[in-house]
Amino acid sequence: MQPDDLTGVLAPKLGVRLKGVEPFPGTAGRVRFEREAALDLFRAVRDDLGFRHLSMVGGIDWVDHREVFYVLWSDDAKQYLVLSTDVPADDPRVETASSVWPSANWHEREAWELVGIVFDHHPDLRHLLTPDGYEFRPLLRSFKLHEPEELEVKARHV
Amino acid sequence: MTAPTAQLARPKESAPPSGSLELGTELPMVGEAAVPFLEIETLRAKEFIPAAKEALGSLIAEQGHAKVIRPVFNWAGRNSLFPLHWGLACCAIEFAAAFGARWDAERFGVVPRSSPRQCDVMIVNGTVTWKVAHKLITLYEQMPEPKWVIAMGNCATGGGPFRTAYSVVPGVDKLVPVDVYIAGCPPRPEAMLDGILELEKLIRERKE
Ligand code: SF4
Repeated sequence: MQPDDLTGVLAPKLGVRLKGVEPFPGTAGRVRFEREAALDLFRAVRDDLGFRHLSMVGGIDWVDHREVFYVLWSDDAKQYLVLSTDVPADDPRVETASSVWPSANWHEREAWELVGIVFDHHPDLRHLLTPDGYEFRPLLRSFKLHEPEELEVKARHV
Repeated sequence: MTAPTAQLARPKESAPPSGSLELGTELPMVGEAAVPFLEIETLRAKEFIPAAKEALGSLIAEQGHAKVIRPVFNWAGRNSLFPLHWGLACCAIEFAAAFGARWDAERFGVVPRSSPRQCDVMIVNGTVTWKVAHKLITLYEQMPEPKWVIAMGNCATGGGPFRTAYSVVPGVDKLVPVDVYIAGCPPRPEAMLDGILELEKLIRERKE
């Protein structure tokens, strides 16, 4: 599957909300989309293109904005596919993928607690790796490595 | 130094059997808590039990409870230290190796138990994160008194290489009282056994 094939399938469904498909090493391509199109894109990718396995969901902090990316695998085409969308840093929301791929559940919890991406309509957006009530987003670039004592005071209530 | 067990078990061959018990030489003990021990002849149970009761009673009356019973408890306790069988991070590999054939920690009476209710000592063998902190405290509180904690490795001692990380408790002594610290990343099994022997010294000197 080539980027052009992907565009051919996805463009009619998403229209202008599809920002482009670019080549990405080791994968069928990288689909960049507007976050409003998330659910439509997920369904199209799973049902029309056959990417039925979600390997990973992650977030990247680019300081002025954040990026959410999804890595998918197709057992038919034996290929990976990357979906990626930009969200503003002051409103990092995107629709959850867990209604389309249930395995997104824990990945999104992790992206939420470490990078601060908020997944709308997530069934169970709780802390996964850090304790409940932990108020830091440690993989953001603005997070400073704390002196242990300072962190201890803030994490004491766990 | 001869171990107290060996002294207690050695029968006195020269003296003729008699129905009486006498106070003999003192057990070698570290610290001032020396216990006089009983030279026990071969007796039938129905003679031995009342005689032993009487001898023990008079010994306690003479020496005081703390001086007679406490060393026995300490002796029993320090020779049957049961650590909690759990592993937090890479140090747990060395912890496990210490119970293998090569180092054989069981020769010191150290047998890992899977339930905190059966444990005397919690060996914190790895990186403690804030996520696991309250579980660690729960396990500690489930252990019956008297109980001890050994911080094994740099992580449990002070956070180790992850001291400034966002998720790591900088030293398990922030959560529970620690008796013995073992340095190393990871400490070798010999170091862990050395830490256990240090703890045995602490227990030997326990007063109450
Ligand atoms: S002290 Fe070293 S070996 Fe032990 S848990 Fe920490 S990093 Fe692992």
